[in-house]
Amino acid sequence: MEINVLFFGVLTEVTGTHRKHYRGIRSFSDLKYRIRDDFPGIENYNFRIAVNNRIVNEDPVLNDNDEVAYMPPFTGG
Amino acid sequence: MRIIEGPISPAAISEIVVRGGTNTDSGAHSLFLGQVRKDLIKGKYVKAIEYSAYEEMVMMEANKILKSVMSEFNDLISLEILHSKGLVNAGEISLVVMVTAGHREQAIKACAKLVELIKDKLPIWKKEILEDDSEKWKQE
Repeated sequence: MEINVLFFGVLTEVTGTHRKHYRGIRSFSDLKYRIRDDFPGIENYNFRIAVNNRIVNEDPVLNDNDEVAYMPPFTGG
Repeated sequence: MRIIEGPISPAAISEIVVRGGTNTDSGAHSLFLGQVRKDLIKGKYVKAIEYSAYEEMVMMEANKILKSVMSEFNDLISLEILHSKGLVNAGEISLVVMVTAGHREQAIKACAKLVELIKDKLPIWKKEILEDDSEKWKQE
């Protein structure tokens, strides 16, 4: 399946991008491994992951064209 | 909830105060203004903050927190949140929260609660721009 991945905050610098499109993703853990391979530095940061605007704690089932966001701790206000 | 490009102007702030005042059932407005602080970081002053947001999720989460605060306090009449995105200079306003209620006690408590929820729940990030143009992501 195809997945749109968004990076926010400091992770845009770690990855050098705000958005990356992945093809041929089989599962959420497959996606996580692909991202870790592409951007090994990302493992040094704290982040939470949202799928279609909802924070996920366990590995969710992904569907084609889902939007997955890598979000460092929020610092708004 | 509205996301504003750049600083929140005095005109925008007075507009929501005036609008709140049109409700004659209310006896109290509690207004919180968040300002960009000129912090000193390793000998350099912060001259601005650049805010970025996951806007779609901000709007969704904001609706949730507004609903939860409305249901927690029974004397509330209206709630309003404005938050900046993009560049806001030191001394300028980047967050406005206004709570309108029948009486002061719940207005003040609900306003404090909303500010904490905004910081905790909304996917917004700040990058400090220092006086020599170096940049530092705020980490909490």
